[in-house]
Amino acid sequence: MKRREFLVHLISEVSSFLLQGNPRKMVVSLHQEADGIHLAVLDDRPRSDAEIAEIEHSLNTARRPELAGYYGQMAGQDLLGSARLNLVGWQIKHADVLKTPEGGVMLNLWIGGEGFEFDKFNLSKGTQE
Amino acid sequence: MLMAILSNGMVPAVTGFWQLQISPARLISDFTLMANPGAALLNVSMVGILGLLVLRLNRIQLSGPSLAAVFTMMGFAFFGKTLLNCIPIIIGVSISALIVRKKPREYVLIALFGTSLGPIVSFIAFELGFPPGIALPLSFIIGIIAGIVLPPLAIAMLHLHQGYNLYNVGLTAGFIGLFAASIPNAGGVDISTFATWNTGRNIWLFLLIPIVAVLALALSIALGAKKSLKEFLSIQKMSGRLPSDFTEMAGKGGALANAGLLTLLYWFFMLIIGAPFNGPVLGGLLTILGFSLFGKNILNNVPIALGILFAVILFGKSISTPWIVLAFLFGTALSPVAGEFGFSAGLLAGFLHLVLVERTGAWHAGINLYNNGFSAGLVATLIVSVIEWYKTNIEQ
Repeated sequence: MKRREFLVHLISEVSSFLLQGNPRKMVVSLHQEADGIHLAVLDDRPRSDAEIAEIEHSLNTARRPELAGYYGQMAGQDLLGSARLNLVGWQIKHADVLKTPEGGVMLNLWIGGEGFEFDKFNLSKGTQE
Repeated sequence: MLMAILSNGMVPAVTGFWQLQISPARLISDFTLMANPGAALLNVSMVGILGLLVLRLNRIQLSGPSLAAVFTMMGFAFFGKTLLNCIPIIIGVSISALIVRKKPREYVLIALFGTSLGPIVSFIAFELGFPPGIALPLSFIIGIIAGIVLPPLAIAMLHLHQGYNLYNVGLTAGFIGLFAASIPNAGGVDISTFATWNTGRNIWLFLLIPIVAVLALALSIALGAKKSLKEFLSIQKMSGRLPSDFTEMAGKGGALANAGLLTLLYWFFMLIIGAPFNGPVLGGLLTILGFSLFGKNILNNVPIALGILFAVILFGKSISTPWIVLAFLFGTALSPVAGEFGFSAGLLAGFLHLVLVERTGAWHAGINLYNNGFSAGLVATLIVSVIEWYKTNIEQ
């Protein structure tokens, strides 16, 4: 899949998930570099620690190429019903979920090839500080 | 494999197995009758080994979806899939992956489920009457071409019903089957459907499902009875929409308990309605076993079964008619509709499925083994389209 279409689908699925919680505010931020991409999506809806742990678990599931190549194509397209973060989780390098000062959450997604090291991505340090 | 030998002895099983490889395989070809139960069981074992080998070669771990694919392959090896007719499809899907510079493992599930189009290969090789020197290579080439077009269509079909038909490749293969059956028909070839349906009894065929289901339950208990029960209960709350890997979303113990219980329930249901434990019925039960790890649970199945039952009663059909028995078993492909949209939607889905599935087999002349998946896909598309239209258009 081309990068642009791939990103549109990921943004759509993650946005759909956050909009399910009916937030008052949602921000999508994208930073692209040659070997990797950082996508951050944040809202202002308060979530419990258990909910955050569940989100983090869904986004950091083991890589499943057999599912990503087939069912992963549903990400961001087939939005009737509950949003499914695992469709996104199979296709990204790493994700973390942080509480924002406003009480909502910030989903940080790092996307890149086999050699991409998300912790060396220059934006990641700035984001987590 | 042991059951195959115990059932009829080594020599009849092997000779029957060979006979099945060179037989027509369109719906409904009950291999337990066309050869013998031992030969059918041997074919089931060999096709299962092929599925596991393909997963191994692609370095794919055993999980809900991969086991669902292998059990479905094994189930349909009782009535249509053979080693010979599966291989070209798998090769074709792998070529399709390479065409778009993906690794074949990304399409491995499509390859395994896609063997539902195996009868295309057998049809060209053994039904059209071409000399073997032409028929065999031609059947392989057509099988490979069918495999190549499967992934793009499977992905497109997934968007139609948005994951609410568990047998997505059934809808895809039915779509391809419409074209595949129309071409020889246009050329004047008789491609009418037929049905072989074994009504005889065989103790090994009778015991196969209870043995496998009890093994699944025992394994579930061995993984920790209390933990498995908790996982099993959490599975009952899930919609089952594709892709719901219960082994990952809940846990292996709960998923195995779900598989064992649901399959046993359907086995008893078959016993109550007097269905014979022949190839197609065992195929249906093995498919339920596989998809109980990947979308089907007890709660999302009930409305579908009741919807089918309601249609049977309303239209005065006989419950033990082969295609109705199969509708009960395979109509469970629609269970995510009940799981996501509730009891009434599930009831309607089951009802519509029974109304439609009687006709769809003739459309593709039995070339697509997942005829119920084809019908379920059309029903799911209808229901999902209406619900989506309503939800996205209603003024708040």
